Amino acid sequence: MPQPTSSNAALPDSSGLAPGDLVATGMHIAELGIYGMVWLDHQLVSRSRYGPLVAFIEIDKPVTDSVVALIGLEDDIAALARTEAPVRLLELPAVAMINPDGRAPRLNFTIFWLPAIDRFLLLVYKASSRSDIEVELTRQVRARLIAEAEVQAKSRELSAANEELAIANRDLEQYATIISHDLKAPLRALRYLSDDAEQALRAEEPEKAAAAVTEMRALARRMSRMMSALLDYASVGRKAEAVTIVDTRALAESIAASLPRAPGLRIVIDGDWPEIVTLEAPLDLVLRNLVDNALKHHDRDRGIVRLTARDCGAAIEFQVADDGPGIPAAAHGAIFMPFRTLGGPAGGTGMGLALVSRTVEAVGGTISIHSEPERARGTAFTFKWPKSIARG
Amino acid sequence: MIARKIMLLGEIGVGKSSIAKRLVLDRFEIDYKPTVGVDVYQYVVPDEPGRPGMRLIVWDTDGNFGDAIFRHVYMKQASAAMIVGDVTRTGTIDAMCRLGMEFRDAFPGRHFSYLLNKHDLLQPGDTPRLPDTMTGAGIPLIRTSALTGDNVKDAFRAAADIIQRRAS
Ligand SMILES: Nc1nc2c(ncn2[C@@H]2O[C@H](COP(=O)(O)OP(=O)(O)O)[C@@H](O)[C@H]2O)c(=O)[nH]1
Ligand SMILES: [Mg+2]
Repeated sequence: MPQPTSSNAALPDSSGLAPGDLVATGMHIAELGIYGMVWLDHQLVSRSRYGPLVAFIEIDKPVTDSVVALIGLEDDIAALARTEAPVRLLELPAVAMINPDGRAPRLNFTIFWLPAIDRFLLLVYKASSRSDIEVELTRQVRARLIAEAEVQAKSRELSAANEELAIANRDLEQYATIISHDLKAPLRALRYLSDDAEQALRAEEPEKAAAAVTEMRALARRMSRMMSALLDYASVGRKAEAVTIVDTRALAESIAASLPRAPGLRIVIDGDWPEIVTLEAPLDLVLRNLVDNALKHHDRDRGIVRLTARDCGAAIEFQVADDGPGIPAAAHGAIFMPFRTLGGPAGGTGMGLALVSRTVEAVGGTISIHSEPERARGTAFTFKWPKSIARG
Repeated sequence: MIARKIMLLGEIGVGKSSIAKRLVLDRFEIDYKPTVGVDVYQYVVPDEPGRPGMRLIVWDTDGNFGDAIFRHVYMKQASAAMIVGDVTRTGTIDAMCRLGMEFRDAFPGRHFSYLLNKHDLLQPGDTPRLPDTMTGAGIPLIRTSALTGDNVKDAFRAAADIIQRRAS
């Protein structure tokens, strides 16, 4: 770091060079653009300058007009002229003032107070003190830090995606099974019916043919219902749905009011039904299907379906219990599988409970069934609905 | 027009330089070139009813210039600071809060805001986890994206408003 010297001071260690030669050397170096000099008055107005490196600094204007990095430092600079410290300088290293074209040289600025000439000297030189290797090293180290953080984030994403993939695979297998077992039967029936229709036509028995066609149409309709139910089932948890404040009691009441049922069947709502922030449509789907199921499978003129809710910390536990015929233990395993109707009234696709359990799982909850028809009537479905929703 | 010095602070890689470039040059670069020393930009916040135009001298540091950062010559006479965190890296958000508290102690009464940058990388519906010390306390918290430009100019305009109000 050059030290300010008074112009009259003896020049130390000048190797026999005359002061004039030294000045000439200094000017030559400045001309090469290795440093530049600007002399400033007390008001920090540039009065003269030397060297191409400071050609951008306008003369007779405040130096801060050209060197915006000095804005705000005016008082600190002025204070240099007032202190008694032997070295009165202020250094601002490695500053690049970015032009509108986005580029600028990186410069060191040093300001000295020179009492002998009553001026400040602004010395400007290129900030090449950090070697290119050092800069490159910093770049690489920092780029690696960022890359590592990104890799971590990516691998978290990846493992989530893998999990999803595993679930999707499992689903796919399940669908393959469903399609081969459950859709094959009606397809086979369709083929037989079309044979029947053809034969009837050949034998000129149009009534028989018409009957076969009617049956075919009904089968086709049923298959298309099964297909759309299957699609609904497949899309559970795949849709991005909005989280809203749900008044669970109001939801239960509206479900109770909207479902058709025999006049002797009552719905009772019990327990603590809080307001929670959750996905409304899936919760509606689950409760609605369970209540609908209880009403549809009831086998007596009078009966009660009881809905209860209970806060159990991280989740709300809902229960839908009926006093219907019950479901034998042997059937509990299959009850949440797609297309498993347990006899019961016609018209169901057998997808209700499968949709229910899949939806509960999609939000991170669990569902269970309790029914022992050999000991007592009734079925109770209990499901835990987490208060904060897991997102896929 | 008055000129005020405003610092960009925050961990490396959070997007300080990208924010400055978006603000002043209105462009964005994907590749990462660490800032060496300091890059100084100028941005004029246009005048508005109630506030004359203000020239902001934006100091984009390498963000990480040691323990004595608040005594460093770069920080001299800063009027305000924008302290930046990367929403996708919680470590940088913790660092942002630490810097905020240190700035408040070192420059009492000076304005600072938190910029939560790289918002474009969040999935819709995602909300970043924020430390408790950050909420409350009346420190502006602005979600930005240097990539899309979201909120970048607004953040600096808001800072100019506050600098002006504190001065008068
Ligand atoms: N997606 C996205 N990337 C950004 C954003 N801001 C910065 N980056 C990237 O993050 C990396 C670091 O940015 P940079 O501005 O150099 O960070 P600095 O070290 O704080 O100055 C670069 O690769 C940028 O392209 C942003 O808002 N969105
Ligand atoms: Mg940078």
